[in-house]
Amino acid sequence: MNSPARRLPKGGLIDRSSPIEFRWDNQKVSAYQGDTLASALMASGEKIIGRSFKYHRPRGIMSAGVEESGAIVTVGLSHRRDPNVKATTQELYNGLTASGQNAWPNVRHDVGSVNGLFSKFFAAGFYYKTFMGIPPMEWGKKGTGIWMQYEKLIRRAAGMGTASREPDPDTYEHGHLFCDVLVAGSGPAGLAAAVSCAKAGLDVILVEQDFEAGGDYLNQSGPDALAKRDAAIDALKAAGARLMTRTTVFGLYDYGVAGLLERVTDHLGNPDPHLPRQRFLTLRAKHTILATGALERHVAFGNNDLPGIMTAHAANAYLNRFGVLPGQQISIATNNDSAYSAALNLAKAGASVKLLDARAKLPKAVSGLLDTKGIELITGATVLNAQGKKAITGYESAVANNAGWKEGDQHDCDLLLVSGGWSPVVNLLSHRGVRPGWDATNCCFVPVPTNEPIQTAGSALGVWSTGDCEDSGRAAATAAINSISSGTVAVASGPAAGGWETPIQPLYEVKVADRSLKCFIDPQHDVTADDVRLAHQEGFVSVEHLKRYTTLGMATDQGKMGNIIGMALMAEALGKEIPEVGTTTFRPPYTPISLGALTGRGFGAHFRPLRRTPMHEWNLANGATMVDAGLWQRPWYFARQGETITEAYIREATTTRETVGLCDVTSLGKIAIQGPDATDFINRIYSNAFAKLPIGKARYGIMLRDDGIVMDDGTTWRFSETDYFMTTTTAHAAKVMVWLEELLQMRWPDLKVHVTSVSEQWAGVAVAGPKSRTALEAIMADSAVVTNEALPFMGVVETTLKNGVPCRIARISFSGEMAFEVYVGSDYANSLMDLLNAQAQLLDGCLYGTEALGALRIEKGHVTGVELDGRATIDDAGLGKMASDKKSYIGSVLRKRPELMKEGRPQLVGIFPKDRSQKFKAGSILCAENKVEGHGDGWITAVTHSPVLGHWIGLGYISGGVNDWSGKTLIAADPVRSGNIEVEIVSPHMVDPTGERMHG
Amino acid sequence: MVELTTARVSALSGHYNRGHHGVEGTGVVMHEVPDLQLWQLAAWPESLTVAANKLAQSTGVGSVPGFASAAGNETVALLRTEPLKFWVYGAAVEGANPDESVVLDISHSRTQIRISGPQATTLLNGYLPLDLREGSFPVNSVASTAFHHVGVTLWRSPAGYELFLPRGFALSLWELLLESSMQYGLMVK
Repeated sequence: MNSPARRLPKGGLIDRSSPIEFRWDNQKVSAYQGDTLASALMASGEKIIGRSFKYHRPRGIMSAGVEESGAIVTVGLSHRRDPNVKATTQELYNGLTASGQNAWPNVRHDVGSVNGLFSKFFAAGFYYKTFMGIPPMEWGKKGTGIWMQYEKLIRRAAGMGTASREPDPDTYEHGHLFCDVLVAGSGPAGLAAAVSCAKAGLDVILVEQDFEAGGDYLNQSGPDALAKRDAAIDALKAAGARLMTRTTVFGLYDYGVAGLLERVTDHLGNPDPHLPRQRFLTLRAKHTILATGALERHVAFGNNDLPGIMTAHAANAYLNRFGVLPGQQISIATNNDSAYSAALNLAKAGASVKLLDARAKLPKAVSGLLDTKGIELITGATVLNAQGKKAITGYESAVANNAGWKEGDQHDCDLLLVSGGWSPVVNLLSHRGVRPGWDATNCCFVPVPTNEPIQTAGSALGVWSTGDCEDSGRAAATAAINSISSGTVAVASGPAAGGWETPIQPLYEVKVADRSLKCFIDPQHDVTADDVRLAHQEGFVSVEHLKRYTTLGMATDQGKMGNIIGMALMAEALGKEIPEVGTTTFRPPYTPISLGALTGRGFGAHFRPLRRTPMHEWNLANGATMVDAGLWQRPWYFARQGETITEAYIREATTTRETVGLCDVTSLGKIAIQGPDATDFINRIYSNAFAKLPIGKARYGIMLRDDGIVMDDGTTWRFSETDYFMTTTTAHAAKVMVWLEELLQMRWPDLKVHVTSVSEQWAGVAVAGPKSRTALEAIMADSAVVTNEALPFMGVVETTLKNGVPCRIARISFSGEMAFEVYVGSDYANSLMDLLNAQAQLLDGCLYGTEALGALRIEKGHVTGVELDGRATIDDAGLGKMASDKKSYIGSVLRKRPELMKEGRPQLVGIFPKDRSQKFKAGSILCAENKVEGHGDGWITAVTHSPVLGHWIGLGYISGGVNDWSGKTLIAADPVRSGNIEVEIVSPHMVDPTGERMHG
Repeated sequence: MVELTTARVSALSGHYNRGHHGVEGTGVVMHEVPDLQLWQLAAWPESLTVAANKLAQSTGVGSVPGFASAAGNETVALLRTEPLKFWVYGAAVEGANPDESVVLDISHSRTQIRISGPQATTLLNGYLPLDLREGSFPVNSVASTAFHHVGVTLWRSPAGYELFLPRGFALSLWELLLESSMQYGLMVK
């Protein structure tokens, strides 16, 4: 394409000794190290870089920074495809692949541009008005049938690029940083502030979103600016400060917390695979200095989105930083002084420059200077309507007419630069809830002081000249230093906002009577000035509603480009001043953050921390299939060749009842309770009596919450006068631990008791079955310690295995069989399993997992967390007789509330299918036979196939319990899965109700 | 008494690959300190001084560490993990008088990983929200903190950062440390 932009033979900060090749829309393009994708495309003559969201209008480079709304592209291929990347911020590297998006076949020739012909119809609210709320669009199911079809087509036509559907191959990580002073932005103000703070001995982190530190120093002509930058960076490093480039302060949060996104490899063609792509950093600073700069505004005039129209200061950046002269025949439309440097720089670089200043009068010195440089100055003029099909070729000017404008002359150009004033970047301060104030003199919102330890400096404060910005940075530093030393937030006394010789003239939109022009204010979302007026006509008065109705400021730039113009137009329509319309609240992030960075390393196997028992590997080596139990991984079942899970657990449960089974029970919560008052403490916690538990004995206990509902159950073992070992359920281990600490610290600080979680200290295995003692005897150093006499039911012993490993054993049973729980130090778990398993093999025993564990306990009617679900009372669970009436304990009063004692509460029951060949599911609702509706009369908590009974059984709760329902037919209703099954209610103690087997 | 004929098995067993990993250079050195000996002594408010002094004497450490810090000699260290609790690292403490204090063997409950090298702080700050700068967390500082949602204890010993991970979580957290330390160049000793 014939382009007016060209790379100059010298100049700029690019490294001409490091050429780079990349691909743009499948074409090879050459550039240099130090280029952005935008500067490289500009230098290579590309004008159309993107297509607009709604109308598919051609778009070119509109800026040189994060506010870019035209050159929005897709970078990368297949699983690394990253849409909506701003070409102006993408650092170039060898092999980069980029392409236009939202266009077919490409951005230069886009079939979708036909949308532009219908733009009259596509105004704000078009879809709501056209596709919703009026027949026939509301026909069909739920009144949205046709819309659901249209929506797909519309979504396809309106687009902002497509993300990859493949898993992200990159890694991301989180991190934490700490410093005394965070400085956001490394321009003249930020560098000055950082150097001052660092020289004062403070620990400084200076953060820069660009890949080069220096901010506006980089865009200025001549060697002085760079020399200043280099000196500042040297001073900074000498003082020990940290400088982080390619890092964005994306948000400010409470108490000096800032969110940072560091792009580690986005600029590398072939990064080391060990490097994360990005880091999501949480920084905590005592003080924060915001030197975030200002963004130059566009002006709304006709076709102001044509390729070849960009901000005036962007031209400075392309020329001075990237060595690209962006046009040959350049016009500049401005309303303020800032564009003059661009005019002078461009003229000096060889372009013909025409400057239209909206202001009628300028000092003679200014016009004289331009004259000597061959720049044509037209005062009291601006651009009315840009012309050109795929790029600008000329424009129609407007000339001042009283307080407004009238049509002017025709002008040719190949580049049109615009400066409508500057908007300080107040976003980060806005995150803190600080609303900026309107500065009518400078036509911008400026930060107001806050009582938080945050200073703003430089053009972020509305300070325009480089020298003033440096002073402003130093003033902010002084305030920060004083604040840190005094502990109270000091106010900076730097230069005030402003600095232009001739005041800015407010200019947001150029319009003349009887001319209808397409003036974009949010080019990314194709929001026009007419859309704002339409919103006003339709009754929208709040800027927040305006935003939502028109989608102004809701694109990826989040209003950086168009918000102020939008507010100005709204104010005009409402007959108000801009500050009266209000400000929109900026929220984090300042620029987009990839979802991967938010996730960090917490995905896949590390989505949650994984908790392994000490015999995890042993279980796996012995054929376990694992299952998640909270964070724990537990053996689910140990399938033998060809076995299904059902076959496996039935075999395991059967074997356990017949000979011996071994089960890893390490996940049970274990708490050491020690101290002279330990007995009293335990007696206050459990609902049943513990005061007289002998040394060497264990007891099953149930603890209640304050409100009388069951909290947890478990066994507590007594080793000495002052030393207890409590076990809890796996599910409630942490909750019980926290509860005990709370009781000791908050309620009974006088009790001399310490509780310590020893869940990790001890590996536990249940040895269950009629031959469990035989197995155990064989592995003990002294087999006599586990005889029926030495270790009767609920007996406890601390002893030694035959390999010399110390252990503790209690004869307790969850399975209903004669059983023992054996604990050893976790590092000895494998040796315990080896010893036990060898004996189990000799006895035709087996290993069993949680599935068989469940079957065994359901047969016995033993409760777990699903039955003790935070609603059940001790009576509901059928354990009320255990509760003591002779002592006071947690929950002892409130468990006797009338509501908890009333007749007809759900009671724990056993459930059989009426037809024993049928199965039913946990979660089913229990209903009377003729009344399958509502919440029914009860529910099923657990089911299993009972190896002993030879059919499916269940546990559950039903109002009135066995007494009310015995002999009746009920329905286990499972409407969304298996339907209705006829069942009957039995005692929950379905196997060995008298406990003969357990007592051996 | 039967002689102990079996060795302790670490939570990292089978997953502990010595040698260099990741990028060139050695930014981080990690080392599982095996066979951890760790006891806890917990005193009562009124007996704290007496119990702590006795502990300092009996262990040979000599001085009682202040809150969130440690004191030690070449073999034994006392870590103040809670206002009333000390961890005794490198020695057993038995026979305390319950009216003064209670003791507990927690040697198997933690996996100890020593992390050193120029990037050790950066690596740890990838997970721990602790200000580990020299001025804020000097040698012999002790902190209870969170590592990927898991409560851990960190002690900056003269040899490096000593990270005490709950044994059940140790492998999962070790894997995370491995993954993220590759970028700095890792030596597993």
